[in-house]
Amino acid sequence: MEHPVNYIYNKIAVLNPMHGKKLKKNIGFFDDGYYELADAFFEKYTGILHAQNKTLDYAIDCYLQMIADVNAETIEFLRTGKYSSTTFEEVNQRVYARPETMEYYMHGLIMSQFLWKHHYQVVDFFIHNLPSYKGETKSYLEIGAGHGYYLSKALEILDDKTSFTVVDISETSIALAKDFIKDEQVEFNLQNIYDYNSDKKFDFITLGEVLEHVENPLQLLVKVNDLLSEDGVLFLTTPTNAPAIDHIYLFESADFIQDMIHVAGFKIGKEVDLLTEDVSPQRAAKLKIATLYGAFVKKDKSVYL
Amino acid sequence: MERNEILNTVNNVFIDVLDDDNLVLTEATTANDVEEWDSLNHIQLVVAIERQFKIRFASQEILSWQNVGEMVDSIAAKLNL
Repeated sequence: MEHPVNYIYNKIAVLNPMHGKKLKKNIGFFDDGYYELADAFFEKYTGILHAQNKTLDYAIDCYLQMIADVNAETIEFLRTGKYSSTTFEEVNQRVYARPETMEYYMHGLIMSQFLWKHHYQVVDFFIHNLPSYKGETKSYLEIGAGHGYYLSKALEILDDKTSFTVVDISETSIALAKDFIKDEQVEFNLQNIYDYNSDKKFDFITLGEVLEHVENPLQLLVKVNDLLSEDGVLFLTTPTNAPAIDHIYLFESADFIQDMIHVAGFKIGKEVDLLTEDVSPQRAAKLKIATLYGAFVKKDKSVYL
Repeated sequence: MERNEILNTVNNVFIDVLDDDNLVLTEATTANDVEEWDSLNHIQLVVAIERQFKIRFASQEILSWQNVGEMVDSIAAKLNL
């Protein structure tokens, strides 16, 4: 049977040849492990689309619409050195409060999970390291679950007795995550994380690609530190130099992210900084190519906050 | 600036951005003819050309070029040639 991802790549090559060319560079990198995960992912996702009377071709169109946005934002970023939006309210008006934009943007992001090499690499990093924290994780919190893929993997990997909580500001995301995981074990909270208060401390928190969406990521990291149990683990990812219609906070390199993690009272364990394009690190710096940073961090007990 | 001078300058920008010293463009060259001319590099080329000629393209122009010649047309129009 043809891998769905090959169908998607071929379709994109027809609809947008320049972007198709870029994506095809990824194919050589993908191994059996990739196809196993990607096939299962697209099978589930296609089922969700069909339940909504939509097709994979619809999702491909959404993805290309998102790419057009990203390209326009990237041109502006290379011209000015800044992201085009700087406040949450601006992004809210432009993206979150517009259902038609949210619709194509969410589907575009879902597709990117397995079309973009770095999105696959970072989830692979998560999947391979999460089992080592299984023993100590009795409670799992995900802030900004997006389409729910990380959550679905945490549900598979962690112990059955683990409690699962999600806090997400977007109704669209929560609806999608619910479709994706179909698990009643998860408590969903439609809420801004700053308004979320819990007496309970969490043993494992996932904060995937959230920091770039807020005005003050340090404040968010401090809040997360407070929600984490004494020996808990935070898994976070955030990109550098990655303009998008809903990105606010610009990290110019991984150094800035690492510094902020330290200031928020954490020490860094395993980490990755993945280039989003197949270029040498020197060219990446010259062309301001985005990277995706990911790390498992713990509270730094030598720091008093 | 003569049209062929614009083409030569554009050629040099392509050589720099695509990191290919042997690249020779003609007005008929398209993205299909140049392996490294993908969507990422297209954006890099657009911005590098803007800087080189001190001009600014509109979003519609960036999407409309079918070949290098049309890119040169846009540049020439902005330089009032």
